[in-house]
Amino acid sequence: MALDQADADLRPLKRLMCLGCGFSYDEALGLPNHGIAPGTRWEDVPEDWVCPDCGTRKSGFEMVEIGYAPGGAELAQRA
Amino acid sequence: MPGPSAPHSFVLRAGERGHDFIRSDGTRASYIAGHPDAFITRESSFNFHEYQSGRPGFGSMRVFGDEVFHGVGCGYNMHPHHNFLICALILEGELTHINTVGGGMVDRLRPGDYYVFSAGSGGKHCELGITGEDTSIIYVWFLPAELYLPPTYFRGHFDGRTGRHDIVQLIGEADGALPIPNDIRISRLISDAGGKYTYKPRSLSHGTYVFVLDGDLRCADTVLRRRDSTGISGVEGIDCQAAADATDVLFVEVAMTMRDDVVGR
Repeated sequence: MALDQADADLRPLKRLMCLGCGFSYDEALGLPNHGIAPGTRWEDVPEDWVCPDCGTRKSGFEMVEIGYAPGGAELAQRA
Repeated sequence: MPGPSAPHSFVLRAGERGHDFIRSDGTRASYIAGHPDAFITRESSFNFHEYQSGRPGFGSMRVFGDEVFHGVGCGYNMHPHHNFLICALILEGELTHINTVGGGMVDRLRPGDYYVFSAGSGGKHCELGITGEDTSIIYVWFLPAELYLPPTYFRGHFDGRTGRHDIVQLIGEADGALPIPNDIRISRLISDAGGKYTYKPRSLSHGTYVFVLDGDLRCADTVLRRRDSTGISGVEGIDCQAAADATDVLFVEVAMTMRDDVVGR
């Protein structure tokens, strides 16, 4: 238990955007329809993973600090 | 480290941009339309696709592409987007634009026409030159102010005769300009008689990317020729002197952030 607490990852969750097409990856939401569970850190997404919409590699994503439009997070979770 | 409002500038010459030659063959033919003989040439001012050795962007701008579709049926087959604010300005030829926004539409755009497509929560589009003449287009992509906005599409027209000898806002909040959901303005100047012009950004924390479509322009002590460009931020005004011959210039104004000083050079 103590070890779990010590290992707890307190870093804020990130959002990233594909620079090839605009598809977004949100660590908090994951991509359940693509087999990535909510809470999955970007570094834990497999290195050979590519944008499901345009095939851009992970290195072609940029971290963004942009919030959602109303209702947007729910739509993003179903992407 | 300078803040977002400290004076800062760069100059990018036409030949320093990223160059792509993309033929519609092999697996590319699913993306590039017009197989077998069509091809796209693309000059990128910022990192885009395989070109990754330039600037990452400027403010919220991530793509400034100077593209030509060559050959009948050349273009981009139907493909998806999210979030990006995608602007296209047609310089030559004709662009047939098929877009899924709002139940779907087919648009045909000629020189002077332009569009703003906010992909938001998702949309697809297809862009084709179907007349056989080369189609020359400037593509500008921006990050949005919010993710997953409802998708929108607007088109406009710039009349190079009545709009001559003035800096005319095409995209932004001005009367007659197309709206765009972020702090962005795109303006155009066409001049054929020389003259001095001053572009005034909204504040010291806004940057302006000046791109010469045609002609010569002296801009803040730098002479820019066809397809040269400069990005300037942290100034109240940008003084420009157009040459006596035909001069055609785009001004792209964006909000700068501290982060741009880190990644935007």
